[in-house]
Amino acid sequence: MLLNKKYNDILGLNRRNQEYVRPFNSPSAKAIADNKILTKKILAKEGIKTPEVYKLIKSKKQLRFLDWESLPKSFVVKPNKGTGGNGIIVFYGKKKGETAWIRPSGEVMNKRDIILHIENILEGRFSMGSKSDIAIIEERVKTDPLLKQYSYKGVPDIRVICFNNVPIMAMTRLPTKRSNGTANLHSGAICTGIDISTGITTYSMQMDVKSLLSDTYEDIETTTDLKENKKLSGIQIPNWDEILRIALICQKSSKLGYIGVDIALDRDKGPVVFELNARPGLGIQVANKTGLRARLERVKGLEIKSIKHGIRVAKNLFGGEVEESIEAISGRKVVNITEKILLFHDDGKDPAKSNKEIVTAFMDTGIITSRLSRSLASRIGFLEAIKHFKSLGIPDSFPTLQEAQEYIDKNSTKLLQGTSIRRIAKIIDEQTINIKPVIEARIKISGEIKSVEMVITEDTTHPVVIGRNDLKGYLIDTSKTFK
Amino acid sequence: MQFSSFTDWILENGISSQTLELLVAITLLATIVSIARYIFGSKTYGIYAPVILAIAYSYTGLKYGLSVTVIVILTTLLSYSILKRVRMHYITRIAINYCMLSISLVIFFLIIDRYGLGLENMSQIPPLAFISIATLSDFFIKQYVQKSFKTSLTILLSTLIVSTIGWYVITRNHISGYIINNLWIVPVLIIINIFIGQFKGLRIKDYFRFKSITKENVVK
Repeated sequence: MLLNKKYNDILGLNRRNQEYVRPFNSPSAKAIADNKILTKKILAKEGIKTPEVYKLIKSKKQLRFLDWESLPKSFVVKPNKGTGGNGIIVFYGKKKGETAWIRPSGEVMNKRDIILHIENILEGRFSMGSKSDIAIIEERVKTDPLLKQYSYKGVPDIRVICFNNVPIMAMTRLPTKRSNGTANLHSGAICTGIDISTGITTYSMQMDVKSLLSDTYEDIETTTDLKENKKLSGIQIPNWDEILRIALICQKSSKLGYIGVDIALDRDKGPVVFELNARPGLGIQVANKTGLRARLERVKGLEIKSIKHGIRVAKNLFGGEVEESIEAISGRKVVNITEKILLFHDDGKDPAKSNKEIVTAFMDTGIITSRLSRSLASRIGFLEAIKHFKSLGIPDSFPTLQEAQEYIDKNSTKLLQGTSIRRIAKIIDEQTINIKPVIEARIKISGEIKSVEMVITEDTTHPVVIGRNDLKGYLIDTSKTFK
Repeated sequence: MQFSSFTDWILENGISSQTLELLVAITLLATIVSIARYIFGSKTYGIYAPVILAIAYSYTGLKYGLSVTVIVILTTLLSYSILKRVRMHYITRIAINYCMLSISLVIFFLIIDRYGLGLENMSQIPPLAFISIATLSDFFIKQYVQKSFKTSLTILLSTLIVSTIGWYVITRNHISGYIINNLWIVPVLIIINIFIGQFKGLRIKDYFRFKSITKENVVK
């Protein structure tokens, strides 16, 4: 085991501290990350959203005069200098007619309980080095509906590790029943790796509670304790590029050379930064099934000119390589938005013997049936069908779809007679309704040969456009769209 | 025992052999803790707890020491599980826990005196050793409150294993005798710690933690 060279790619705690945290994170930069109030102030200057602060409680006297009635139904209490999510209490609702609030577990905490908790925060029970602290009462982030489906009550977050102004690795942490609705991995939250290039989730893991060794994980494929468990791979994280951009702005403004940025997706506000971490944990490697060290060394010393450049470098260096893994996990193949495909001639031969040509196809989920340009269709054996269709003197356009359908119904025998035309389709092209012939062609896409129905259209930029009917079971990678 | 001239000179100049033995033991124990942490990845309750436990065990003997440790941890768990239901400040909770610890240790000593249970002659052991073991309660409860029961228990077990190794090393007469006679070992221990301090490789525990990454489907 010790001689396995793959361990060379992994970042351990010793190297993280010696080679990345100590040299690249100055004490003053670490002080920013360790202080949530300071973090909020610095990020606000950069226009980065953080949860809104309702109250700051610095002393017991201030706590005594706190206007409890002014607090909203849901809020979060957290220590300013807390570590590892300790001391954070989330309240989801207020108990009717009482000064008491409800936690995700259903537990009700009254004013006295909350005062006691805040007093503990002030005494430094949850802060680094047990030093006296400040309690923050802030807005509860309302989870984006997409990630909400995969979480149990709490707020899922996304961690992006950045180094040298390049996003290196990312994961999402999904609260579970076992973790009591918190996104804390040690409490049992699910951790899912994210492909840095596409923002699509890959592998998932959860701490093994049965193991005597701490920090041992078990691979999982679905959520574990929801009413209806869902597959965790293949989820497209919304606003992915924006998330990467925010993570890099956080790195720049905090001056932390090696940073973990925790971002939540708010239903209304979009990405909101929870906190900055100057010593991000290493479990992210397990969720991504890849080592951080190899990636960090690839970007060490690179001259990154801008945030956009940093994102581009990350996508080129670390992206797209998990496509096969996504296929293995999700059973879905990944195709680029423009993909080279093989188009077989309509010569009735076996695919191995048939003439074929390589064409660039455009993946378009906005259309239903795939499309083939007239000149290409003519070349691959549908010339007769095109000539026949043209000879019928069909009107160039129809005022309504209904009239187009009526025309098709009335002339269907004539339209389909004696050619390779399979059916007639109504299409709307540049606000004009017209009818076009549909043929069946054979294509090879992502290693798979299949017969697809294609509407023969006028010549456009893309001679082949693959529509929704033929994109079932594929994930489209939009990162390599327009280079 | 015959000492080297340098050791003799130290002993003749106001330092007792017991003090010297203890001071040397501390250097050894501290190095054991740093090896355990940075080479093996074994997390302990800081450096103080395992060092003080190992020294306490050297006074009590491992059998007595571990039995007192078990009593301390069980009492702490019991008192904390009762006290967490009561609304009160953290320090007062810890203070009550110490009161309960004293009571349970007195009861334990009375039971031993009456029934033996293979732990006779406990009264001969210096009480300061037991008190040192009792401080473990504070470390345990802090982890339990801040992290989780499992984390606290794991760290407790690591602390006990490291302390036991430390106890074994410092109670071997030939080891302590050799070091007392060869005090140049102390600067060597400093050098060893400097090397450990520079060590960037994976800890033994990391090999188990990241085993799944080295299996198939690895993507760089």
